[in-house]
Amino acid sequence: MGGEAAAGRWYDAANATFTTLVDSKHTVSSVFQFINVPMGVWIDEHGRVVRPAEPAWAATRTDVYGGKPLAIEGEAYVAALRDWVTNGDKSVYVLSDEEFASRVKRRSPAEMEAEASFKLGVWFQQSGNAALAAKYFERAQTLNPDDWNYHRQEWSFTPADAGKKWLEKFKQFDKEYYPKLELKPKGEM
Amino acid sequence: MQRRDFLRIAGAASLAPAADARAEAATPSPAATVLYDDRAVVLDRIGIDPTHSSDTLWIRKRDLPRVNGFELKPQGACRADLCIPIPKAMTRGDYFNITAFAKKAGQPVVAEPDARVWSFGEMQALGGGLASSRVAPDFEVPDRLGRPVHLAGFRGKKALVITWASW
Repeated sequence: MGGEAAAGRWYDAANATFTTLVDSKHTVSSVFQFINVPMGVWIDEHGRVVRPAEPAWAATRTDVYGGKPLAIEGEAYVAALRDWVTNGDKSVYVLSDEEFASRVKRRSPAEMEAEASFKLGVWFQQSGNAALAAKYFERAQTLNPDDWNYHRQEWSFTPADAGKKWLEKFKQFDKEYYPKLELKPKGEM
Repeated sequence: MQRRDFLRIAGAASLAPAADARAEAATPSPAATVLYDDRAVVLDRIGIDPTHSSDTLWIRKRDLPRVNGFELKPQGACRADLCIPIPKAMTRGDYFNITAFAKKAGQPVVAEPDARVWSFGEMQALGGGLASSRVAPDFEVPDRLGRPVHLAGFRGKKALVITWASW
């Protein structure tokens, strides 16, 4: 199960009044280089990206999985977002071009190949060829092991094992699970 | 928060057995399916590679624009302001070696020749996306009713684009 069948009830429960999409091909993640969920970008009235990909939680808490903490910072994120909505370009959370450039990196050749592999896996999955889908999902994961969306998508097809697989990778992962949320430009406290 | 001035777009990163993909899969024996910018372009005829390389894809020149937006001109393969010179060996009669072109343009290609599917990744020659420009690339993703939504349609409003998954 996927797409609207999987996501629809969550939109209904949230009584969503905003535009809701069903991104079965991971188009949005691909365009903005999201590597986990939830992640978000801010875009101004002129179509200019104000802040590139970063964790987009609405709550702040620390969970512990397998003895390993996972901290999320939502309250500060939402406060920053409200500041931008109110103050627009004058908001301190609008990144300068220099700061923006320092936070966005070009995909490496391996990351670009991973993306092409993942898209091939998605196509095979949607065409009913689970074996070839698995082959290219695995290739994408090998080429870019830091992209949790590649793993998460594959695990969603075996929901009974998904939590176990996630926990196993999470415990072994020696990098930050989410990119660090740096709300203010560097140099400002 | 001034809601009327603020728009949030949420994308559900979950995989659906999309109707369009099923329809494409049901198309009787296409010569090749090319995945490009999230589009699946079905080609009913492709060329034979003279070296019999199974990964190499020769497409009809006239199919090039609908595959990747490029068209062949005297100065090379062109898309908007970009023209990439192409060697003679990249064309053969009515056909164009699109995998060789991808290599020249710094674009990864992942192929499953037995299934006749080629997946093209990001093209370096077109720039580095957000790494070279802050302009948000447009995209098209369906809403819950399957209606296409374009990011460009939200110009004039602030937008927060968030993806999440249901587990």
